[in-house]
Amino acid sequence: MKIELRDVRHVYSPGTPFAVEALGGVSLTVEPGEVLGVIGGTGSGKSTLVQHLNLLLLPTSGQVLVDGADALSMDRTALRRRVGLVFQTPEQGLFAPTVEEDVAFAPRRLGLDEGEVRERVREALGLLDAGHLAGRSPFALSGGERRRVAIAGVLAMGPEVLVLDEPTAGLDPTARGDLIGLVVRLKASGVTVVIVSHDLDEVAEVADRVCVLGGGAVRAIGTPADVFYADTSPAPTTVRVAAAVGERRLPGLGRPVRYGETLAALRSAMGGTG
Amino acid sequence: MADPASISCEHLTYSYPGAAPALSGITLEVRAGEYVGVVGPNGGGKSTLVRLLNGLLVADSGHVRVAGFDPAAEPFEVRRRAGVLFQNPDNGLVAPFVEDDVAFGLENLGVERVEMRERVREAIRSVGLTGYERREPHTLSGGEKQRVALAGLLAVGPEILLLDEPTAMLDPAGRGEVLGRVRELRGSRTVLHVTHHLEELFDADRVLVLNGGRLVAAAAPEALFSDADLLRENRLVLPTVPRLASDLGLPFCRTPEELAAAVERRSRDNSGVEAR
Repeated sequence: MKIELRDVRHVYSPGTPFAVEALGGVSLTVEPGEVLGVIGGTGSGKSTLVQHLNLLLLPTSGQVLVDGADALSMDRTALRRRVGLVFQTPEQGLFAPTVEEDVAFAPRRLGLDEGEVRERVREALGLLDAGHLAGRSPFALSGGERRRVAIAGVLAMGPEVLVLDEPTAGLDPTARGDLIGLVVRLKASGVTVVIVSHDLDEVAEVADRVCVLGGGAVRAIGTPADVFYADTSPAPTTVRVAAAVGERRLPGLGRPVRYGETLAALRSAMGGTG
Repeated sequence: MADPASISCEHLTYSYPGAAPALSGITLEVRAGEYVGVVGPNGGGKSTLVRLLNGLLVADSGHVRVAGFDPAAEPFEVRRRAGVLFQNPDNGLVAPFVEDDVAFGLENLGVERVEMRERVREAIRSVGLTGYERREPHTLSGGEKQRVALAGLLAVGPEILLLDEPTAMLDPAGRGEVLGRVRELRGSRTVLHVTHHLEELFDADRVLVLNGGRLVAAAAPEALFSDADLLRENRLVLPTVPRLASDLGLPFCRTPEELAAAVERRSRDNSGVEAR
């Protein structure tokens, strides 16, 4: 599914002395099957933006289109089933006595038969390498495990688009890597992913396109190479390495962004066998 | 009495009610002026250690001394000598204006007014926020909020700073701001810095690894980051720059500039070999 935001403005507490414009006219398309990275400083409007993708927030003005049709006229529950939103620190929402029950909660409320619910739970936990946790209490898990279970709960709804808001904040490096692996697997299975992150290195590793927000407006959007090489501060570590190499008299590295590309480019710049 | 700006733990053990030990048998010492990192997987015991050091939790067994005091017995003596900067700046800011927030800790110590004003001014200056005195904390960026929280700690004049993932919620600019201020305090304060971002510890004096509630390693950053097995066993991942250096067969590098210089040297050596 394709989601378009057209000139979306969002004002918190409109008509009061506390009115704050968080988005000032954002136009953006989430293409089917892509991984879109959304970056920008604190207060740039990232979280406000992504909550418009399933109309958890309604635009103060402007339009949200889903496959060309006005999302405001659609059934809200059906839309939220198709566009799953994982908030920051989603593990705070875990509540059931076992992981399996927690993940089954939402699909069961969809009115699916029990066999289908079980199947979806198994699949979602499997995607997150969390199948072995099914019988455990969510409260006896590590931070990384709890985060994965919370995400599985959203995946079990079978969304076409998964929105992850800061999915790796506070996780240890291995858990961060595991989550990035999940994004790659989801994309391979046809799910569209929107990932909001402060960690430019992880965005560089998975995003097909990157959108930079600043002051409630889109500052840049394009391929990671176009965006990160147009403005290298701040940029992912790989881009900063390539820029530092470019300042020396060495053959150009091109514009590597992902780790593997950067490693290969550096190898060839060193010449010989390294 | 122990050196005033030092931390020591002996056979420290703590379990949360009804759970396996979060820390078991931790023995460590941090000398005055040292900058020590603490890393390890989620659930490894890092935050529990910080909470035991400032008396938020009381150990089941073992000894703790922070600036010469037992945090369980004399938490207030410890807290004026060891300030904690937590992960989420929103949880710590309480007052309507920045200057009141920075003054909050001092007010609780009953510091006299003129001195208090001077210490608050100096603390705000030292985190680079002069001019922000009358700003409301909720209008600040994440990095600015964390610096306000840091100023509130510094105003009290602690010898020790306990940093519990202070950059986890910040954007890259905010991380840089906070880390820059912490770096300026090096040497003049003892710093224990808990983080998941290993690149923040490249210039630490030592890095401690906590896993499963045990202290499994204590090493200089270079030694830790060169030990692939140790990293893997503790769910640590080499940061991008040293990882590129390692994959290219180059010596340990901290920054993109160091790596670029190493790549240039190697490329010169290689072309020299081919020319001959």
